[in-house]
Amino acid sequence: MKTASNAKLDLYWSIAKPYILAVLVAFGIIALIILILGYNPLQAFSTIIFVPFGSVYGIMETIKKFIPLLLTGFAFAVPLKARIFNIGGWGQMLAGAIASIVTALALENAGLPSAVFVPLLLLTGVIGGILWAAIPALFVAFFRINEVVSTIMMNFIGVYFVKFITAAQPWTEPFAGNPTTRPIPSNATLVLFGVGPYAELIVGAVAMSVIYVLMNKTVIGYEIKATGANLKAARVFGINAKLTLFLSLIIGGMFAGLSGAVEVIGVHYRLIEGFEQTGGATYASLGILVALACNGDPVGLPIAAFLMAALLIGGGAMQQTMGVPVEIIFIAEVTVVLVILILRKVRMGHII
Amino acid sequence: MTEPITDFLGLVALTVVPYALCSLGIMITGRTGIFNIAGEGIMMVGASAGFLGAYATGNPIVGVIAGLAASALYSLLLPYFSETLRINQFIIGTCLFVFGMGLADLIYKSAVGLQTTAAQVPTLPKIPVPGLDQIPIVSALFNQNVIVYFSYVITAVLFFLLFKTRLGLSIRAVGENPKAADVVGINVTRTRYTATIVGGALMGIAGAYFPLEITGTYMPLITGGRGFIAVGLTIFASWKPERILAGSFLFAGVEALAYKLQIVNTGIPYEFLSMLPFITVLVLMLAFYKRAEYPAAIGSPYSRE
Repeated sequence: MKTASNAKLDLYWSIAKPYILAVLVAFGIIALIILILGYNPLQAFSTIIFVPFGSVYGIMETIKKFIPLLLTGFAFAVPLKARIFNIGGWGQMLAGAIASIVTALALENAGLPSAVFVPLLLLTGVIGGILWAAIPALFVAFFRINEVVSTIMMNFIGVYFVKFITAAQPWTEPFAGNPTTRPIPSNATLVLFGVGPYAELIVGAVAMSVIYVLMNKTVIGYEIKATGANLKAARVFGINAKLTLFLSLIIGGMFAGLSGAVEVIGVHYRLIEGFEQTGGATYASLGILVALACNGDPVGLPIAAFLMAALLIGGGAMQQTMGVPVEIIFIAEVTVVLVILILRKVRMGHII
Repeated sequence: MTEPITDFLGLVALTVVPYALCSLGIMITGRTGIFNIAGEGIMMVGASAGFLGAYATGNPIVGVIAGLAASALYSLLLPYFSETLRINQFIIGTCLFVFGMGLADLIYKSAVGLQTTAAQVPTLPKIPVPGLDQIPIVSALFNQNVIVYFSYVITAVLFFLLFKTRLGLSIRAVGENPKAADVVGINVTRTRYTATIVGGALMGIAGAYFPLEITGTYMPLITGGRGFIAVGLTIFASWKPERILAGSFLFAGVEALAYKLQIVNTGIPYEFLSMLPFITVLVLMLAFYKRAEYPAAIGSPYSRE
């Protein structure tokens, strides 16, 4: 006879099993690739595991990757619940970054106290993300125009917008080596006890709470889930499906925009072209993988994002010390997601 | 006086290839009911393999064949996950896009290694078509490399195949009503696998074209979003080959125009000119939204149940 605690353990195990299996399979494949390329897989894995957690510096660097992955993961996860595929987190992140750097530099001599300036800049980042999500959101909700294509088009428009801002007056830093804007004033920086990552963690914690409350305790969260589960039934029950689809994408854009602002005022203190790239991919595309790995679950997502951040740091170190190409990490991540998908047999049926 | 027009048209024809071949690949796959949005990643795999094929042999045609083979093989993952394992096509497409970008760079890095100057391969030579290259202006379309001609020919072939043959009828039946197709004895799963591989092969040629067209070098993100523009293009071309070729000329024209405007210095920052193809997609999607058609069964895996 099973005891109560045994039953509970079984439940946890059944939840955790696919993830553990996925990680093991992925590491097996990666070990094989590393062997074929002629490196030592054990040395590679010890680097991947020890560097991100082995020192204060490593932990700080991991946090710096964790926050953008978390936020862009939410940017994909919320619309996904309404069955909207927001591939536009990349562009929305860039728009948030542009909005906050332009505001920060416009108000650089206004003498605002940090307590006002920093939240204002985070808010402008959110607004930037909303603006970038608005066109695809309008298209998909009211004209049934496929959001995959439109959000991706907004990405590329955003990429060229960043190229413009970082190269044009009055924002550019003309003599910097790579395209970048002037630095933001010190009263605009997102720091806590003199360190960026602590402040970033607070933003991340707020975002997590907002998502949790939004998806589980509010009407709009319920409507998003209901619309995604069954569009026709949602309509029958009086949900304004068009508005819900629209809002789901807008909410996604808010989180991506926020992540752009955090990168500008909390990590680089300026807008640098290509800041959204990490280990050969964009934060937003890795955020999509994070969200897919946990099926958009607000509790699982931070865990997945943190593990991915650690993998990125470990993978970077592996490239530096051993010369193993960092793209291997990238392939490991996709493999993990694919294995989880197979194990979970995601069936979402007909989507357009 | 026709010199600048011929020159411009020549540039357009050179630029048409990736749009046309990638869109045709999406089209032929979609016609059987699989929506392949991973064109960007599949093209990157083709670009990397295509470069290495030419790098190893010194022959750009070998490069094209290597790109074709690599992408065809890679795209096999899509029907495996979407049909056999029945996982959502958009999710798998997104994964294959991300995976393809990483895989392409990894293959390139491990084969070529880090070098101070980019490795160089010979590019595809121009082969003028005798006779046609003498007509004023139009000659620009027929004084090109062999892949440009291939794009024209394959468009015609696919048009003929889809709408004038029995095989084409079966392909379209699988995409419109797989159950009915199954009843009349068409193997739905095999048709979908085959179409995806053929589509992947076309995307592979398109990908290999990037390093072999002008520069002779490979770099990350060389496809520059054209794989996604092709998705939009295919949708408002209503999955018809002849409209896809026309649409490809439109996008190649926009891209060539943006390029030429940068040279003459209009005062418009080049970044905004570079946005033009992407903005064009958004505008066209809005303009054509009512007429946008999809093969009826696209997006859903088939099983007899």
